[in-house]
Amino acid sequence: MWCSYSCGSSEHSLSRRGFLAGALGGALGTLVSDPFSRPAFTRELNKQQKRVLMIWLHGGVSQLESWDPKPGTKTGGPFLAIPTSVPGIHICELLPYTARIMHHLALVRGLNTAEDDHGKGAYIMHTGRRQEPAMKWPHLGSVCAKLLGEAKNPLPGYILITPHGNGGVNNEDAAFLGPRFASVSLSDGHAPANLDRPAALTETADYKRHEFRMLANQRFLRSRRTAQTEAYTNSYDQAAQLMRKRDLFDISKEPPLVVDRYGRHDFGRHCLMARRLLEGGATFVKVMHSNYDTHHENFDFHIEQLGEFDRPFASLIDDLHDRGLLSSTLVLVVSEFGRTPNINRLYGRDHWSKAWSIALAGCGIKGGSASGKTNAEGTAVTDRQVNGGHLFHTYLSALGFNSKKNFYIEQRPIPIADPKAAPITEVLA
Amino acid sequence: MLPYLVLLRLRFVWVLLILFPAGVFAGDPLHQRIDQAIAAAKPDFARLAASSASDAEFVRRIYLDLTGSIPTADETRAFLKDPSLDKRPALIDRLLNSAEHARHFGTVLDVMLMERLPDKYVPHAPWLAYLRESAAENKPWDQLVREILSSDGADPRNRPTAKFYLERQAEPNLLTRDISRLFLGTNLQCCQCHDHPRIDDYKQAHYYGLFAFLNRSSLVVDKKLNMAVVSEKADGEVSFQSVFDPAKVTKRTGPRLPEGPPLKEPAVEKGKEYVVVPAADTRAVPRFSRRALLGPTLARPDNEQFKRNIANRLWAMMMGRGLIHPLDLDHSANLPSHPALLKLLAEDIAARKFDMRSFLRELALSQTYQRSSEQSSAGNEAEPTNYTVALLKPLTPEQLAWSLMQATGLTDIERAEWSKKLPAKAAAYTGSIHTPFGMAVVALFMETNNKEVTLYARLSPHVAPFVKAFGSLPGQAQEFDARLDQALFLANGPTVRSWLAPRPGNLIDRLARLTNTDALAEELYLSVLTRLPSAEERKEVADFLAARSNDRSMALQDMAWALLASAEFRFNH
Repeated sequence: MWCSYSCGSSEHSLSRRGFLAGALGGALGTLVSDPFSRPAFTRELNKQQKRVLMIWLHGGVSQLESWDPKPGTKTGGPFLAIPTSVPGIHICELLPYTARIMHHLALVRGLNTAEDDHGKGAYIMHTGRRQEPAMKWPHLGSVCAKLLGEAKNPLPGYILITPHGNGGVNNEDAAFLGPRFASVSLSDGHAPANLDRPAALTETADYKRHEFRMLANQRFLRSRRTAQTEAYTNSYDQAAQLMRKRDLFDISKEPPLVVDRYGRHDFGRHCLMARRLLEGGATFVKVMHSNYDTHHENFDFHIEQLGEFDRPFASLIDDLHDRGLLSSTLVLVVSEFGRTPNINRLYGRDHWSKAWSIALAGCGIKGGSASGKTNAEGTAVTDRQVNGGHLFHTYLSALGFNSKKNFYIEQRPIPIADPKAAPITEVLA
Repeated sequence: MLPYLVLLRLRFVWVLLILFPAGVFAGDPLHQRIDQAIAAAKPDFARLAASSASDAEFVRRIYLDLTGSIPTADETRAFLKDPSLDKRPALIDRLLNSAEHARHFGTVLDVMLMERLPDKYVPHAPWLAYLRESAAENKPWDQLVREILSSDGADPRNRPTAKFYLERQAEPNLLTRDISRLFLGTNLQCCQCHDHPRIDDYKQAHYYGLFAFLNRSSLVVDKKLNMAVVSEKADGEVSFQSVFDPAKVTKRTGPRLPEGPPLKEPAVEKGKEYVVVPAADTRAVPRFSRRALLGPTLARPDNEQFKRNIANRLWAMMMGRGLIHPLDLDHSANLPSHPALLKLLAEDIAARKFDMRSFLRELALSQTYQRSSEQSSAGNEAEPTNYTVALLKPLTPEQLAWSLMQATGLTDIERAEWSKKLPAKAAAYTGSIHTPFGMAVVALFMETNNKEVTLYARLSPHVAPFVKAFGSLPGQAQEFDARLDQALFLANGPTVRSWLAPRPGNLIDRLARLTNTDALAEELYLSVLTRLPSAEERKEVADFLAARSNDRSMALQDMAWALLASAEFRFNH
C-alpha cells in the first residue's frame, strides 16, 4: 500500500517521531555516535500492555478426558472427575495441577463448531470464520499483533513455538493484514533465523558498518524521505534491538529448579520460553502441544499427553499470576475440535465438533466460571451453544476491544469478527 | 512581406486552436502528450516540478524498470561518458529489445497474473518461459489474455497457459474475483453476496455476469491424461440473491461483461451437447463452451475497462503509482488522478493494438518518467499524484535479488564464464554482417542470447530466498513491507554474506586490487549505487579504510554491505 508521507496513519506518525528524534540527534552533533540508539527501545514492561498466550493442543484434545468429564456413563471412559479450586466445577482426574488453578480459568462447554476436518477446524479456531473460496481471514494472533502490538516492539507480533517443522515467517496467517502481522515460527524453540551476528563479524565491525549505512542514508534521504524509506531504515533498528534480546530465546538462563517445575520435555521448555517472551514484551505467543489425534488408544495417549500438559500449564498460569501479568494476559487452551463421545473398537475417539470445550484465563476473563452444558453422555449441547465466531468475539472483548468493529482495507470495511456471532458474556469479567 | 507571413502563421495557429482547443496536438507523440497532460493538471507545475533526472539517476532507473537489475559499473561508465544527445532514447530502445527485458517483463507478468500462488498443477519454469517468449516477441496484451483464458490444460503444447485457471482450482468465485481485478481493474469480490455497499458502480449482477462464463467449469484430474485439467459442463444457469434483500428475490443472468450485452449463445441440438460427455475422472468438453468465449468477449479494443486496466498497470509499473489507485478500484467515485490522461493512454494502447513494448517506450521517453526523484525546494511535500517529482519505487523481491547479484559481481562471474567462449575477434568485430565471418559473429551473438537464458537458469535459484523474505502473500498483489526479519536476512543471512566474500572477479576482489583509494571509491559507488561518489563520499571511503588497515578485505565487505543495505539501493529512485 502506498502511504504518502503525510497520510496520518499510525505507522506514519510513529516513523515520523523516529525521524525527528534522529534529526534532533543530528543537531546535537551526535548523529552517528550510536547507530542502534534510536529510536531507543527502553520500554519497561508495562503491565497495562495486554498480551495473549494461546496453547494449541494439536490433533483435537478429548473434552471428556479434560474439561467436560462424564464419568460412569457409556461414553465417559475410565477416568474420574475431580473437584477443583472452584466449588461445583469438576474436571478430569488427568489434570490435577490444573484443578488447583481452576479459580483462574473459565470453561466454555457448549462449543459446536460443526467441522470435523483438521485443517478446516483449525482455520475456524484461529480465525473465528469458516473457510471461503475467495476470502482469507487473518489468525487471532495476527489480529492481536495488529491491534495490541506496538510499532517499536522488536519482537514479532505473533510468535509460534512449534515442536518441529521449519522456522520462519508464515505469511498466510496474516491474510489481508499483511506479512508484518504474520506469525514467526520458532521451530523447537529455536530463536528466529539470522538473529546471530555472523561469526566473522565482530561487534565493533557490525557497529561500524551500520554507521556507514546510516551515513549513506542520511545523504540520500535528505531530499527523498517517504514513509516507505522510514519503514525500511527502521527495520534495521528493530533487527538490532531484537538481536539484543537474544537471551529471551535462551531458557538456559532459567534456574534449574524452574526448568524442573515446567518439565524437562519439549512442551515444558516451550511453556517456559513462552513465559520469558511474554515477560519480555511479546504480544501474542502460541505454544503447540502435539499430538492428541487419538483414533486408537485414546485413554493411554491422554494419560501421556495431558500428563505432559498439566504441570507446565499450571506453572505458567501461576508464574504469570505471581508476576502480576495474568490480569493483562489472555490465555486460551484450544484445539481444532474435540473427540467423539463414542469409543471406537480400537479404544479410540474420533473427530468431533458438535459438543466440545475449551478453557480461558486471564485478561478480561471471569475466573472460576463455566458457560454451556452438554447432555449426560456428552453427545449434544443442551445449554448456551456457541461456535468459533462467538469465541473470536469473546477473545476480542476480553482484551477490551469492541468486537463489532471493522478493519478498513483499502477503504473496504471488513468486520473483525463474524457479524453473525457475539461475545460469550458469561465468561467475561 | 513580413506582416503577411505573420498573418499566415497566425491563421495556421487559429486552425490548430479550433481543431485542438485543449492545446494538445493529436499529432504529437504520446510521450509529449503525457507531459502536456501532467503539466496542465497542476497549477504552477513548472515551478514545482523537479528537474530532469541526472544521467546516473536515469541509467539506474531505466535498467531496473526495463531489465529488472541495476547496470554493471562498465555500462554505467559508458553511458555517463557518452556525449551524444540521443543517448537516452537509444538506451531505451536497446534495453527494450534485449533478452534481459523479455526475462524481466515475463516475471512482471507472472507476478501480476499469478500473485505467487503455489505451483501445484503447472511448474513455474514452462509458464515463465511462455511469458518470457511472449514478451520477447512482443505479443499484444489482448492476445496474451485470450490465450490464457482459452486453455484448458489438456493440450501439452499450450498447457502452461492454463496455469491461470488451474492454480486457482478453476474455482469460479476465485476466478471471477481475479479476472475482474486483473483484467478489468475492478474488484468485484464484495458483489458475490450483494451490490457493493460502498461502491455504487459495482453490482452483484456484474459479478454473476462474469461468473456465468465460468460456473460450468471445474478442475478435474483426468485419468487418461493423468493430470489436472479444466472440465466444462453444457448446462448450469446462474441465479443469485442479495443477502441484504429481505424479500430474497432471485435474479438470473447469462454470461455478460459488466454493463455489456448478454452473450449470444447458439442453440445446441438436444442429445448433442457434448464433444466429450461428463464421466468420472474425465474432462468433459461441451459442444458450446461459455468459458471459451470469455477471452474473445473480454480482451477487446472496444472494452473500456480492459484498455484502462492495462494502460494503468503499465503506467504504475513505470511511474510507481497508478493513475487509478489502487489498481483494482476503477469506479466513478475513485477518479483517476488525471482522467483525461488515462483516457488518452487507454485509447492509445488500443490504437497501437495493445503493443506493450512501444507503449512502455513512450512512457520511458516522457519527461514525467525522466524527472528527478530529488525534491526541489519549491515542491517540498509534493502529493504523489502530481508527478512533480519521480516517485521512489521499492525494488521488487526479484529486482532486489538480481541487483544484489549484479552489484556483488556474481552475475559478472557467471557471464564471464560463457563469454570466454566468445572469441575476442568476434566480440570486437564491427564490420558488415554480410560476410561469412560477419554471419558467424551474428550466430555467436544469437547464441549469446541463448546464454542469457542459461545465465538466468543458473542464477535464478538465488532469487527464491528473496521472494520468500520479501514477497507478498499468495493471491495478493505485491506490496512493499519493511520488517525486521528482512533486515536480519540482509544483515546476518548467509546469502548476501557469501556473495560479498572475495572470489576472483567479484566486487570485493576487484576493489581489493585497487591501491588508489579514489579509484576504489569510484568502482564501489559505480558498482553498487550506479553513480560516481562525491568528494565527501570519497573521503568517507578513505577514512573507513584507513581506520581498518589491518583487516582491509573485511573492511571492504562491510563498506559494500553498508551501501547495499542503504535506502538508496533498496529503492528505485
